[in-house]
Amino acid sequence: MIVPLEHILILAGLLFFLGMGGLLAWRANLIMMLVCIEVMLNAVMLVFVGGSARWGNADGQLFAIFIMALTSSEVSLALAMVVYLHRRKRTVDTDVFSEMKG
Amino acid sequence: MKLYLALILLLPLLGGLFNALLGRMLPRRLGEAIACGVIWGAFVCAVLVLLQFTGPTKIEYGSWLAAFDLQAPIAIYLDQLSLGLTLMITFVCGLIHLYSVGYMREEPDFARYFALLNIFVFAMLVLVLAGNLPLLYLGWEGVGFCSYALIGFWYREEKNATAGRKAFIVTRVGDTAFGIAIVWMFQISGSVSITQLNAMGSLIPAGIVTALGILLLIGAAGKSAQLPLSVWLPDAMAGPTPVSAQIHAATMVTAGVYLLARMFPLIGGSEAVRAAIALTGGVTAFYAAASACRQRDLKRILAYSTISQIGYMVLGVGVGALTAATFHLLTHAFFKALLFLAAGCVITALHHQQDIFRMGGLKERLPAVYWPFLAGALCLAGFPLTGGFFSKDAILGAVFERGGPLYAGLFALGLLTALLTAFYTFRMLLVVFHGEENLPHPHPDPPREGEGIHSALPSVMTVTLWPLALLGLLGGILNLPSYLGVHGLLDGFLGDMPGLMRPEPLSHGTEMILQLVAATVSLAGLGLARSRYAGSRRAAVLAAEEAGSKLSDFLLNGWRLDDLYRLLFIRPFERIARLCWKGVDEAGIDGALDGLARLTARLGRLPAAWSSGRVATSLFGLAGGVCVLLAYVAWLITG
Amino acid sequence: MLGNYPILTIMVFLPLAGCLLLLPAWRHPAAARPIALGVALLELALTGWLYSSWRGLAVAQTGLPGFFLLEDLPWIEAFGIRYTLGLDGISLLMVMLTAFSFCVALAVSWRAVGKRVGLFLALLLAMESGIMGVFLALDLALFYLFWEVMLIPMFFLIGVWGHGRRIYSTIKFFLFTMAGSLLMLLAIIALHLIYAQQTGIATFALHELLKTRLPAGTQLWLFAAFFLAFAIKFPLFPLHTWLPDAHTDAPTAGSVILAGLLLKTGSYGLIRFGYPLFPEAAQQLTPLFYTLALIGIGYASLVAFAQEDMKRLIAYSSIGHMGYVAIGIAAWQPVALTGSIIQMANHGVTTGALFAMVGMLDERAHTREIASFGGLWGKVPLWSFFFLFFSLASVGLPGLNNFVGEFLVLAGTMKKAPLVAGLAFLGIVLTLIYMVRLVQEVCFQEDRQPLSLVDLDLRELSLLAAVALLVVWMGVHPGPLLDLIHAPVQLLSGGVP
Repeated sequence: MIVPLEHILILAGLLFFLGMGGLLAWRANLIMMLVCIEVMLNAVMLVFVGGSARWGNADGQLFAIFIMALTSSEVSLALAMVVYLHRRKRTVDTDVFSEMKG
Repeated sequence: MKLYLALILLLPLLGGLFNALLGRMLPRRLGEAIACGVIWGAFVCAVLVLLQFTGPTKIEYGSWLAAFDLQAPIAIYLDQLSLGLTLMITFVCGLIHLYSVGYMREEPDFARYFALLNIFVFAMLVLVLAGNLPLLYLGWEGVGFCSYALIGFWYREEKNATAGRKAFIVTRVGDTAFGIAIVWMFQISGSVSITQLNAMGSLIPAGIVTALGILLLIGAAGKSAQLPLSVWLPDAMAGPTPVSAQIHAATMVTAGVYLLARMFPLIGGSEAVRAAIALTGGVTAFYAAASACRQRDLKRILAYSTISQIGYMVLGVGVGALTAATFHLLTHAFFKALLFLAAGCVITALHHQQDIFRMGGLKERLPAVYWPFLAGALCLAGFPLTGGFFSKDAILGAVFERGGPLYAGLFALGLLTALLTAFYTFRMLLVVFHGEENLPHPHPDPPREGEGIHSALPSVMTVTLWPLALLGLLGGILNLPSYLGVHGLLDGFLGDMPGLMRPEPLSHGTEMILQLVAATVSLAGLGLARSRYAGSRRAAVLAAEEAGSKLSDFLLNGWRLDDLYRLLFIRPFERIARLCWKGVDEAGIDGALDGLARLTARLGRLPAAWSSGRVATSLFGLAGGVCVLLAYVAWLITG
Repeated sequence: MLGNYPILTIMVFLPLAGCLLLLPAWRHPAAARPIALGVALLELALTGWLYSSWRGLAVAQTGLPGFFLLEDLPWIEAFGIRYTLGLDGISLLMVMLTAFSFCVALAVSWRAVGKRVGLFLALLLAMESGIMGVFLALDLALFYLFWEVMLIPMFFLIGVWGHGRRIYSTIKFFLFTMAGSLLMLLAIIALHLIYAQQTGIATFALHELLKTRLPAGTQLWLFAAFFLAFAIKFPLFPLHTWLPDAHTDAPTAGSVILAGLLLKTGSYGLIRFGYPLFPEAAQQLTPLFYTLALIGIGYASLVAFAQEDMKRLIAYSSIGHMGYVAIGIAAWQPVALTGSIIQMANHGVTTGALFAMVGMLDERAHTREIASFGGLWGKVPLWSFFFLFFSLASVGLPGLNNFVGEFLVLAGTMKKAPLVAGLAFLGIVLTLIYMVRLVQEVCFQEDRQPLSLVDLDLRELSLLAAVALLVVWMGVHPGPLLDLIHAPVQLLSGGVP
């Protein structure tokens, strides 16, 4: 393996925390939050793929493909909900949606 | 005998229940007839019992309170004292019932009146005949309740209702002491039977006997309106006048004297108790007589005079002269009932005018009332040879015979009281019946509609006065002094009673001197009253008295005892009650609890901030959780 | 013959079964009320029958001294919990009081309750089952179950059918009683575990647990937990503030049950469980118990005097009257204990009647404020007569029922603690002061507001007359009731001389 696993993990970690930071910071826009989630998921996928290559096991790749399918369906559902929410309050700012307050 | 005794008690009770339950639906005459009939029936039974009476007996009818060693059955103890009182009560109450038929002839609520009057007689007879203290207490409280309900009989006026309430509460203060004495006696001796307790007098330690005696004295003071619990009786005059005659003159108020006499074998063993009883009686007699001198309400004069006369009886018990005390109790019942009933006639004739300064010259208008009233007044003032003279003198003689500085002082006080008694009695008589009508002094308010003399009194009201007048005047025959060569009837009758302490009889010479002194004092009082209220000085004196002065205000208000109690007890009580409610209960306990509840709620709100419903909060929570987890894992790996 | 039927089980579950009968009439109040009253009357008849035959039953041996009837079945065997019901004199008296009070409660709510009548009646019947169970259970776990069961219907009764700040009051009531009973549950479990440790037998049966040998410290803690639960129910002085609120805001039937029965479960629990299980600890805490009871008497009487709402005044008077019961239990002396138990029944009858009467007045005038009445004797003479009568019973006029209890309590207490008895006697004056004030301001004087009121109707009249007869009977001839509780009191107080 050309690239050492550590490098992959560091990159995945960076991606993950980048996504997470974006998620926490960019609350004013729901779509950007979805993008950030995608980035995080990609980081996870990268770990799976890297692990798969490191131990020569196909399970990781299988999971990566599984996650891809999952994210595509998730994004389609989530975007539909974003459209719905936008229609209700004319905004995509998540702080405005606090109906679940306990 | 068992049957007759049961009937004595049951007849008034049944009459009362009958009137209470059915009286409103039945014709008036029937209710009245039954109310009077049962009392006279009880009197007949009492006479039958007297004829069969051979000596003290105990009769048990059934169980009442029975738990382990506490046994208080429904039992009667009949001895000379209780039999004598039973006869007096049924007779006087019978007359007063008859009188009430006339007095209450316009009262629509007669059923309640007669029901209460009958139940009162029942309770009074239970009190007198009870064989154990809890049963006596039943009668004791029963008469208290009837007194309360009858004082406030015309309940619409707040004054009447309040007077009833005052009587109930003040007497209950005394009752509490009596109650404590009962349970204490039970604790010491394991018995509540009167005869057993009296038999144990010598076995109980002296200190406890003293304490018990003081407690019983407080109880008696409450019921018999002795100092310091005397304040309720003058106000009790708010009730209908026959009620005042029956309850607040003849029977109930003497219950305290009866109690002390009944338990005397037990408590008389303590010198301190006897001194306390005598002192209470003597001081009360003087206090009330002085107050009576400046009263202007006819019934209040009589009320204070009742307090004063009962003071004499208590004094008599205190010096161990039970016969004399009982003698005075009986004659007093006759002449005081008479005075009240006559006063009731006057008040009815004048349309409920009770202020003596607005009466006068009634002698010609109401001769049928004047002569019995005069008879009663003579007895009350201790005019020589009347019943009141002999009975009062018997007490004073016994006090004199005791000797010692305390009793000498009490004797002097008693004589002074006798002087005051004669004075206020004749003041009342002269102002009300003599002089001119329509006195020239200014009225505080204009004469009311229909004011004037209404001489058509029902004959039943005036006729009932005569038997009482005769009994009062001739009451001395009951117990003539021994120097006349006869043995006193009452002395002989009561003399056989077990446990009675007999004072040494006075020598005939001393007794005669004492009676001469008493007669002089009485006549002096009469003369003093006559010089002020009859003849030329009358108008000036009346005007001066009406104007009032510091001293006379002081006496008029019963030495301002009411004000003192208001200051000492009533006001603080109300304040503390309010404080306990608003301060302790609502602010204190509930406030603390509400504070605790608020604190809990606030603590609950702290974690609730994490569920703000905003996505961001959840995300931060998630991120924070992940960080913590990662840190933990890192710590596990490195550490 | 009696042994063949599970009489006690029938007594406990008959009212609950009555709820099922109500189902078809759920939406028809006119039909539901007679059904519920019929069930309550049947229950009353059952207790009456038991009472009439108790002397015969007492001859038969049940295995437990003093108990006439015993029903004992295994229930949750893993924990040794048994279904044990037992009837002795004290239980029988309380059971009679329960059946009677529920008849009164149903009768007074005949017209007063208009909404959700079916549910109301079902809750009342369910509560009757719970209270019956409390008075009959001899297994601590079973007792605790019934103890909780009886609370829940009351919670809804106040919360749904109450007046004023009903939610506040019902939650307060619930929190107070829950707080106490949870501690009691812990103490019960602890007792169970200690006994299991000592003997290797897992049981919650009272007569077994009585044999537990407890070290002094543990005993004190366990007793304190029981005591707290019962003291809240009593209620004793600083723990009483739930009672005025609950009473004031409860519907009339709720007040009758609260005063008549729920307060009695506290004193009953103390007599049946608290004192016998932990005699030494109880003795240690006696001074505290005396003090709280005395403060309660004086304090409640003072506060009652200041009240402006009739129902609240009577609620505070309950605290004062229960103080006498508390003193009698604290003395733990045969005469005093007899007095306490009789006083429990007496207070239930008299105060229940007073609450019912205030409820009747409230139905007519739509107010309970003392200051709005006056001169009722002229307007509603029958009502006023009965009100005066029950007030007199309440202040302990001899010849009426309360005197019997109070006198026995004080006479007995005098033997153990003369000072306490003396001070408690003074409380009788305070009782009189506030009661006479209430009667005067309501029944006498001039009327202060032009209210047009209707006097009692036949239903109310017959109800009150029945209660009044009972009051007189218990006051004049308490002998049969005193005989009934004689044997159990002797057994109980034998432990602590």
